[in-house]
Amino acid sequence: MAPLIEARDLTKKYGAHVALDRATLNVEAGRIVGLIGPNGAGKTSALRAILGLTNYEGHLTVLGREPFRDRTALMNDCCFIADVAVLPSWLRVDQAIDFVAGVHPRFRRDRAMAFLAKTQISGKRRMRELSKGMKTQVHLALTMAIDAKLLVLDEPTLGLDILARRSFYDALVNDYMDETRTILITTHQVEEVENLLTDIIFIDKGRIVLDTSLEDVATRFAAVAVTADRLDAARAERPFYERQILGKVVLYFDSVDAGKLAPFGEMHTPSVSDLFVAKLSGGAA
Amino acid sequence: MNTSTWLIRREFWENRAIWMIPAIFGALLILGALFGQVSLPKLTTPEQMYEAAAAYQVIVGAMFYVVMSVYATWYLLDCLYADRRDRSILFWKSLPISDAKTVLSKLLVAMVLVPLVYFAAADATALISAFILSIRARASIGSALWQPDVWWQIQVLWVYCIVTTALWYLPIAGWLMLVSAWAKRAVMLWAVLPPLVAYILERAIFGTYVIGHTLAVRFAGLPYVAFNGAKHVWTEGKGVVDNEGVPVTVWHLINPSGFFTSAETWIGAAVGIALIVGAIQLRTRRTEV
Repeated sequence: MAPLIEARDLTKKYGAHVALDRATLNVEAGRIVGLIGPNGAGKTSALRAILGLTNYEGHLTVLGREPFRDRTALMNDCCFIADVAVLPSWLRVDQAIDFVAGVHPRFRRDRAMAFLAKTQISGKRRMRELSKGMKTQVHLALTMAIDAKLLVLDEPTLGLDILARRSFYDALVNDYMDETRTILITTHQVEEVENLLTDIIFIDKGRIVLDTSLEDVATRFAAVAVTADRLDAARAERPFYERQILGKVVLYFDSVDAGKLAPFGEMHTPSVSDLFVAKLSGGAA
Repeated sequence: MNTSTWLIRREFWENRAIWMIPAIFGALLILGALFGQVSLPKLTTPEQMYEAAAAYQVIVGAMFYVVMSVYATWYLLDCLYADRRDRSILFWKSLPISDAKTVLSKLLVAMVLVPLVYFAAADATALISAFILSIRARASIGSALWQPDVWWQIQVLWVYCIVTTALWYLPIAGWLMLVSAWAKRAVMLWAVLPPLVAYILERAIFGTYVIGHTLAVRFAGLPYVAFNGAKHVWTEGKGVVDNEGVPVTVWHLINPSGFFTSAETWIGAAVGIALIVGAIQLRTRRTEV
């Protein structure tokens, strides 16, 4: 089966600034993919291209379509939440539901109503009267009621407090995700999403630094806490990053046989956030 | 209902001023009729009554037309800019609606639906205030303002004005929408400045006035192209009469054959369509300010 999103040499320039530099990535159906990078890394540019909001150079297909040329048709099968603050302030909750129900062939009103019924939000309220957390819930209700194949979330929890963030992701995983759906999330807060992702894509300075599934992370990457006397021997195996913690040096290895590393010290699989720091700082060094 | 109908409803949800401004303006005029000073001349002949009714209806209609022009200009300048400014465009663009449909729905609202709302408001205001005035004045003015014939003529005049205005000012509307889809800020300034600079540069470099003249014709030329006004004269006691001194009706005043065969009408419309196509193109490319 062809990948849901296929990008080859995807490039986006704003004048002299190169926001995406020949990025190549694939997203398979049924996955929850985190597109992770520091601010200004090109995450948003990549998403804008995938959603058909901007023109680009290179090859890109999403659900078999060219997004920029075919945005209208693409949006039948794809929805996105680009930051929760984008619901227009004058819109009433019931108007929002009526409108989306009117224009979207895959919207199921009963599902949106059921989701909203669990909240305290009345249909007559305008968006400007709602807190940011409530707006998120309205936007989620609208989005989750659409039978879409691909859901794209761009920094969805920016500016939300911890309770709202938790309930956002809980709703996403429990009420929305199933094997027919695919989610692409960008964030610079890695800790928040690492437990729900199946795949990670690291992006830095417009380039894809890493594109892998989390199962592969466990077999491919190792972090070893090395004592000072074995440091030189361990460094000979070419770690891509090292870091000092509590008097020990932790070395990060990519695709080095675990049997070789075991003698150097205590070994574990790095967390996504550790790997992120290691990959991005290591790449610079 | 289809997507276009929903897009139009959306415009009325967002811009409640579309009906609130004419409603308030009409209410103010009616208040004026209720409490203002009524001192009208004594009308004796049928011609005088006819003339008074026509003048009264035209004045009410003209006031609404002026307010409508100002509002429609503001609406067109704002309509593709407001949702980029507050980033809600990202919500609208997450729905399967083409940019062409979005832009055209806004154009339709500005050029047809807003005028129809003002038309209805002007009619209601004229009828209600004529009723009030006729009760208050108890004079010949009362029956003078109740001329069904004049009322029908005003309906024709309104419809004719809406159609000719939409066509004649299409290039202006297209330009406003283009600026609205493009500008990062100060839409008003961007709407006015480029033509003004072009006018000044042309005058300074070539010493000619082609741009200034073209713009002046476009802004002020509609009455000359759409009406037969020049052939008629205003006379005391008889109103507007033709060369033989016979009072004229709306049918003599409007000049559809002249308007619809004028090259200027269609050149303008073509420029307007080109500018609107440009606005649609910008709309697909520009998502945020």
